[in-house]
Amino acid sequence: MISFVLRRLVQMIPVILIGSLLIWAMLLGVPGGPVAAMLGENASAEQILAKEIELGLDQPILIQYFHWLMGALRGDFGLSVYSKVPVMELILGRLPATAQLAFVAMTLSVLIGIPIAVLSAMNPGSKVDRILSGWSALALGIPTFWMGILLILLFAVNLRWLPSASQFIPIWVDPIGALRSLAMPAVTLGLYVSGVLARFLRASLITEMRSDYVRTARSKGLPESRIMLGHILPNALLPFITIVALMLAGFLGGAVVTESVFTYPGIGRLLVSAIETRDYPLVQGCIMIILVLFVVVNLLVDILYAYIDPRIEY
Amino acid sequence: MKRLHFMMRNIAALMGYRGPALALIFLTIVVLLAIFADVLGFDPFKQDIIHALEGPSAKHWFGTDELGRDMLARVIHGARTSLVTAGGAVTIAAVIGVPLGLIAGFFGGWRDGVIMRVIDVMMALPGILFAMALIAVLGRGQIAALVAVGISGVPTFARIVRAQVLTLRKRDYVTAVESFGGSSTYNMFNTVLPNSWPPILVQIVVLSSVAILLEASLAFLGIGVPPPQPSWGEMLRAGKSFLHDSPTYAIVPGVVLTLTILSFDTLGRGLQTVLENPRRSSAKPTTEGAAS
Repeated sequence: MISFVLRRLVQMIPVILIGSLLIWAMLLGVPGGPVAAMLGENASAEQILAKEIELGLDQPILIQYFHWLMGALRGDFGLSVYSKVPVMELILGRLPATAQLAFVAMTLSVLIGIPIAVLSAMNPGSKVDRILSGWSALALGIPTFWMGILLILLFAVNLRWLPSASQFIPIWVDPIGALRSLAMPAVTLGLYVSGVLARFLRASLITEMRSDYVRTARSKGLPESRIMLGHILPNALLPFITIVALMLAGFLGGAVVTESVFTYPGIGRLLVSAIETRDYPLVQGCIMIILVLFVVVNLLVDILYAYIDPRIEY
Repeated sequence: MKRLHFMMRNIAALMGYRGPALALIFLTIVVLLAIFADVLGFDPFKQDIIHALEGPSAKHWFGTDELGRDMLARVIHGARTSLVTAGGAVTIAAVIGVPLGLIAGFFGGWRDGVIMRVIDVMMALPGILFAMALIAVLGRGQIAALVAVGISGVPTFARIVRAQVLTLRKRDYVTAVESFGGSSTYNMFNTVLPNSWPPILVQIVVLSSVAILLEASLAFLGIGVPPPQPSWGEMLRAGKSFLHDSPTYAIVPGVVLTLTILSFDTLGRGLQTVLENPRRSSAKPTTEGAAS
């Protein structure tokens, strides 16, 4: 097991290195150079040169990358051009908000997605199955930002139950306030993810239902619900975990948009405003941190997968 | 002629299924409206400030926006923005992704290794983040949105083509060309590629729905196609500020956007079924197929 974990850790390195190279190289692609873009059209040549020296952009390219990478390894992405605060400080300030949203939304999606998949798979082709499959197709097809707008229209504008703009309230400080504030963003994101979960889990359940052990269980006279919950579901959850890992990318992307709909102060909104203000160090920092988080979570899922399924060799 | 016949046969087969048939009809209407928007007299820029933020009426079927511009005209012109961006993006994704997949699958070895590692990294970033990073570099604009959405679609094509090539690589007709001394380039593009069309075609349609969603998301975030050019995402962004005054403003573009995305997705899945089972016209489009 330890050698498996080590091997996977080593495999992470090229992905993060190539990723860091691409993220750093972003700056080279900015038309007219990043400093001119940051300082605006009215900057003089002297101002641009001074800024370039300040950012170390006057040095040879490979040295620039090396410096940037060394800084990034220590969590130092430089200062935000716009607010003059260390990039890492800004990111760390926003991460708890995104983590809380992701956690609540993920819990919600599992609570909605698994029952839908089980009910659908128990009677494939039936009316219930068709309705529920239609529901997951809809949950997947409706753009998250439009779903968010519809929720705001219903719950904030018409019913006036919930605030239309969400703040970050730590759940351990004020659980009710936190849930009130998180309700709409979490439902928006959770519904989308539940659609993906339900679709994949249903397919996985239907495949498992054709296995021999299901026939054996049935011939023993076990009730259908027990066969489903005690035998099929645990087996079908295995391939499902991989899907959940693959989906994380979509989940993070969805979180970026959802945060913007509800003006929720997470890392996604930070990134959007960094792009708007052309704050390149902040853009690079945000994307790098998201990439690393994604790779690390993938690693954890792989390890979890190998741990639960003894058939996987490591 | 043979290609036309092949196309007509597949379209006829698609029309046999209710979902894909409806999707095809809807998309045809959207495309025709987008093409003939000017001929039909839809002006998305004409302001009528007195009638700003009105609901649907006989004069303005979809109501008006905050400047009194006709929402129907703006939605139709928004379709043009969406379709052009999606079309351009999918073309870029295919033109870069297909050859990469061909090379990786055909040659294997270090070329496969290098290409697939880069593809892995691109897959590791969510499409929208990738597109956002590119827009941060290129600045805001339709071309930037098109390129950003296109490049984020490259990994999908590369992976699908690579998988297809790996199954075709050892077929007799491929090795036969090799033994006759046909060059690798010739073999890749004239033997392997023509036999890889079905999954590529399906991907083109499915990716169109992804591209439209991505373009709308970028516009909604305020970093896509800039105003005043109408785009569905930008309309929803603006409409969100007027939910109290005119709810239709934020509803109509969303309905059209959702229907377009669902239609492309349904059509792609239908196409997959038709192309995979050319003789089994009774087979229903599978929902599991879209999972990949």
